[in-house]
This record gives sequence, structure tokens and C-alpha cells, in this order.
Amino acid sequence: MSAAPGWLRGDSPGLTLARRTLALVAICIVLLPLADLRLLTADPWTELGRMLQGLVWPAWGALESPFNAIALTVSVALWGTFLGAMLGFPLALIFHRSRWVRGFCAFVRAIHELFWALLFLQVFGLSAVTALAALTIPYAGIFAKVYAEILELTPRGPRDALPHGTGRTSRFLYAELPLVWGRLASYTRYRFECGLRASVLLGFVGLPTLGFYLESAFREGRFGEAGALLWLFYGLIASLHWWGHRRLLPLLMLAALFWLGPLPDVDGALLWRFVSQDLWPAPLLAGDVAGLGAWLASIPDLLPAIGNTLLLALMGTVGSLVVALLLWPLASRHFAGPGVGGRLQRSLGRLALVMLRSTPELMLAFIFLLLLGPSMLPAWLALSLHNGALIAFLVARHADGLSLGMPDLNASGRYAYELLPRLYPNLLALICYRAEVILRETALLGMLGIATLGFYIDSSFEYLMFDQALFLLLITAGLNMLVDAVSRRFRPRDVPLDEPCT
Amino acid sequence: MPLLSFEDLDLGHGAQVVLPQLSLSFEAGEHVALLGQSGAGKSTLLSEIRRRLASQAAWCPQGHGLVPLLSVYHNVYMGRLERHSALANLLNLLHPNRQAWPVVEALCDELGLEGLIRRPVAALSGGQRQRVAIARALYQARHVFLGDEPFASVDPHQALRLLEHIKRRHETSIVALHQHRLALQEFDRVIGLRDGGVILDAPTRKLDIAHLDALYPDAAQTEAGSETSSQARIGAS
Repeated sequence: MSAAPGWLRGDSPGLTLARRTLALVAICIVLLPLADLRLLTADPWTELGRMLQGLVWPAWGALESPFNAIALTVSVALWGTFLGAMLGFPLALIFHRSRWVRGFCAFVRAIHELFWALLFLQVFGLSAVTALAALTIPYAGIFAKVYAEILELTPRGPRDALPHGTGRTSRFLYAELPLVWGRLASYTRYRFECGLRASVLLGFVGLPTLGFYLESAFREGRFGEAGALLWLFYGLIASLHWWGHRRLLPLLMLAALFWLGPLPDVDGALLWRFVSQDLWPAPLLAGDVAGLGAWLASIPDLLPAIGNTLLLALMGTVGSLVVALLLWPLASRHFAGPGVGGRLQRSLGRLALVMLRSTPELMLAFIFLLLLGPSMLPAWLALSLHNGALIAFLVARHADGLSLGMPDLNASGRYAYELLPRLYPNLLALICYRAEVILRETALLGMLGIATLGFYIDSSFEYLMFDQALFLLLITAGLNMLVDAVSRRFRPRDVPLDEPCT
Repeated sequence: MPLLSFEDLDLGHGAQVVLPQLSLSFEAGEHVALLGQSGAGKSTLLSEIRRRLASQAAWCPQGHGLVPLLSVYHNVYMGRLERHSALANLLNLLHPNRQAWPVVEALCDELGLEGLIRRPVAALSGGQRQRVAIARALYQARHVFLGDEPFASVDPHQALRLLEHIKRRHETSIVALHQHRLALQEFDRVIGLRDGGVILDAPTRKLDIAHLDALYPDAAQTEAGSETSSQARIGAS
């Protein structure tokens, strides 16, 4: 007779993952008192009621020229994604051979689209060039990485069957590219959906996409109009497979050129001054090393900002994990009751998850911010709900592909014994992939007034202190690359990720 | 003057030797069947032969090695990919080459793929894919045919017809297969591999089914039994 092992003792993979997860949650709880989680508004419920009212009874009549906003949003997303793919593809071909290319791609994708937009705004103004560059540059880095990963998994059979002496180009065209074409295309499609969300967000810096009108409607309390705009956006995403059909795309791209409008006039001398002087600290340009120290010291609250960014990212990651664990059964067939009621329940669960994941996290945070006041609480909620719902959706789809060994178990038994042990490695891997994205979003949420790095980046741009803005952007990118490296180490290995969701 | 010969050669993948101290030679003009259970080293031997013969040999790999998204025409065209420039190959993907099209079409008709030349390989049955793989090898137009189980997905009757096409177009052939009766009736020589060595190498006229069954560990199997088991194995894979 042997004694039963104690709490969490044992070497099984499930227990190892459980220990790791609990350690992460414990760290988060220990650090939680450091976060500013005050509730700063007196009566959030009335405001929430008005917002929900706006969502249920949208004021369609109040919209002015919504078609222009939609057309610009789609145009920017289309061309931004297309140009990103055009730049990313050649980079993907040399991705695994050059450390420089890998570093460059990691850097450009570590900076959020909106920060790129803030940077280009200084040079190209509120023009389509700013919007396109803001999407194209980070997407090139993302495409390079993901395409390279897909290309690496090309089946080798056809390649080995080619006659001796076949050239590299021909080999690639016939025996490699067609084999992965479907996966490349489906990832590009997914990225286009992300591009639509990013294009909406560009409204927050003043480009007249859907986000611009959404922001002002919310800010001025015109919730009926905001509701109508949100429904327009959900409709756009939900009907994507219909209007974004492969055959329609060339036509759409041509039409998009019209909406992107003429190129802005760029003053060459100003551009050169911006790149050669404004972006760099004056002491650095003057070769004054001692002055550089003083310049560094003049940046307000650098360390607290970094601390807040990392803390909020950790909280967001743990929050997403909890939300995903709670919400995935909503959309899974294993937990829906029998008959019509069950089907309805599952459809509603799905709809809720799709809405949560389609709403851009900045939008979500903005709404919570209006409700709860400018502390870390709304940011935390937004990050956890958006990312948690996204992961819950993928996990539910994974779960629906599994069949139960003991279908007669009750719901908690099904959850804890049948499904979770099989789903959890994948779920945790998704969370780890997502941690990098969450950090990038955390920095971004600073633009709403939460004291993360983004807040200081945004205000540096506002006060035209471009050297400081660039420095903070570099710090943000560095943090992002660091977190990416850490989470890659932490994530469960040998988990087949069927969805390239990051 | 042999086409190819090995003296005391260790064959394998990297450090792992599959066929130690192998000595074999092949003559031009003979049709050789390679027999032995899966994992006996047939593929290892064939890939070494392919390496040595380089562009003298046409090659039909195990598991077809076809590209599902491309049409039958493009898959067959791949047999001569090295004889055109990269630009010509690129254009051919967009608009089929005028010289190549009728040749490929005739070849496909001959192998029983009438009317399928435009269809993507993904939409074909296992047996049809097998024929495309063979058509691609024939399109290479070489003296020697090397095949690694090229008849794995077709029935014995079709295998016989395909083999006739192969022999008509190639002076020499070296083919790994599991169909014992076909090996005895249609080939000049049988090489049997087992436990990392050649345990049988003889002209077919001196052999009968019992000799071939000895190549398998379960030697008591009858011919019918071994045929079904090989079919079952293919079905399962």
C-alpha cells in the first residue's frame, strides 16, 4: 500500500502545466496590490444602461455618410495587408537564414500599428500614406515570420521527386509553393480581418475611418450613433466571407485606390530634418555623453511606466486565461443541451464570443474607461475579455473536434476529466503566443490615459518631443521582444497549434 | 560493362547503416524486381541507385510525391522541369506550353487518364494518382526506370498493364514491389532483401513463389495470403 501523493505532486504533463499556471497566477496575485484599480466614477450603472440602450436601439438616422468611413476603413485594410504581404513574402524566404532579417522583423512587429501611425503622422499628416505605412510595416514583419513558419512545414515528397538539376526557382514554383498555398492564403485572410480592426483603430489618431466616428460618438455620449456604428462594424466582419470573396478582391482593390485619394505633398526638407534631427536626442547629435544622462533623467516616470506596462500585461494574460477557461464551454457542442434550446444556447454563446473578439481592444477599453474612470481596471477588463474570448472561441472549436469517451458524465466531469486535460496544453500555448500581443496592446492602452508606456509616447508626440517618443518606442519594442522570448520558453512544447492566431 | 555496381558498400541514412557491406551490380537491358518487407532497405538501395545514375534515370517515388493543388498536366510536366528555364516554367503555370501539352495529353491517354489532364490531382482517386506519378516518370524519357512501389495503389491487372508501358519505353528498369506473381512473370531478375542483406539474387526462370515467400518473416504464408496482406497494408496506410 502506498500513500496517495500530496497536492499537485507527480510528474504527469497535466500536473506540470497546472503547477506552472498556478505559479503564474500566484505571481499575478502577489503583484496585484501594486496596480491602480480604483473605481473612479460615482455611478457607472446609469452610463452602462445608456450604452446598452444605444446598442439595442441604434440611431441609424444620426449617421452622416457612414459609407465613406466604411470605404476608407476597408481600403486601408486591403492595401495595408496586401503591401505587408508583398514585403513580408520575400523576407520570409530568407527569414531562417539571416539573423538580421529575424531581428528586423521582430522589431517592426513589436511596435503597434497605432504607434507607427503616430510616427508617420508627423511626416505625412492625416493622409492615406500614414494609414497604409502604419499597417504595412508591422504586417511585413508578421507575415515574414508566419509565412516562414508555414514554408518550413512544406511536405518534402514532391520536391524529392523532381528530376536532377531542377533550378531553385522552378522547384519553389512547382513543388513547394502550391503545397502551402492554401495555408498562406488562409493566414493572409485572417490578417486582413486584423487589418480591418487596426484600420478602425486608426480613427483614434484622427484618420477618418469608422473608429474616428465611433470615438467621437462615445466621447460625446451619443450612444445611439455609437451603437449603429458598432453594428455596422460587426456586420462588416460577419459578412467578410461574402464581400471579401477571392474573385471580388481585385475589383475591391481598384476601387479602394479611389478612396485612398491623392498622395499628400511631402516637404523633402522637413522630412529630412525629422529623420536626421528631430527623432534623436540633441546631446547625442552633439556628441555630449554627459548631457545624454541629463536627457535620460528628464524623461518623466520612465521606470514606473515600464513597471505598469509589464504588470498590466501580466494581469491581462492571467485574466485572459481565466476568462478563456470560464467561457469556452459557452460555444462548445459538448455543453449545449439537447434540441432547439441547446442549439440556441450555443449560437448565443458563439455570438457573444465573436462580438467580444471582434471589438478592437482599444474600443473595449475606451468604453470601460468611460464607465469606470481612468485606472488600470478598465484596461485589465478589456484585455482579459477580448483576448480571453478570442482564445475561448478557438478552444471551443478544438473541443468540438474531439469525441467523448464517456458521454454520460455530468457537465463538471466532462469539463474536468474528459475535455480540459486534452485542451489545456493547446490553451496554454495560445495564451503564451498571445502574451506578446497583450503586451503590445497594453502599451497602446496608454493612449487612453492609463499610465503605461503608451501614455508617455502619446504625450511626447503631443508636445512634439519626437526624440523622447522614439526612445520610448524603442523601449516598448525591446520589452516586447523580451516578453516574446520569455513566453516562448514558458509555453508547452510539442503542441500542434492548428490556428495561426497571432 | 555493367550499368552500375556496388562493392562492399555501407548504405543508410547518416550514421545509421541499413544495408552493410552491399555488393551488387546491374546490367543495362535487364528488368529487376526488388522484393522484401517494408523497412528491409529497398528505398535506401533505390535512392543510392538514383543518386549514382543521376539524370540517366527516370524516378517514380513511393507515395507518389505529387502536388495536389496543381493539375494532372502540371504534375506530369514536372518530369522535365530541369529542361526549361525558370521563366518558361513560370509561364507554363499561367498558360500551358504549346509543345508540351499534346505530348503530356497523349501520355495521359495512353495510361488511362483520358479527360483528366486539366483536373487537380487532389480530385483524383488513389489509382489515378498512381498513374499520374508513372506518367511523370515516363515523361522524363530516360533509359532507366527506377520505381519505389509504383503499383502500390492499383490492382494486379492494372499493374501488369502499367508495367508493360514502362518496359516498352525503358531499356532497363529497377522496381521495388510487393506483387510476387508480377515479379516472377514480368521481370528478368529478382533481388530479395531481408535483415539488412541480399538473401536472394537470381534470374526469375530459376525461381518460384516459395522462394519469394521466404523473404517474409512469416514464411508459411501462401502467395494469396501475402498478396492480400500487402493489399491490406496499403489500404491501412
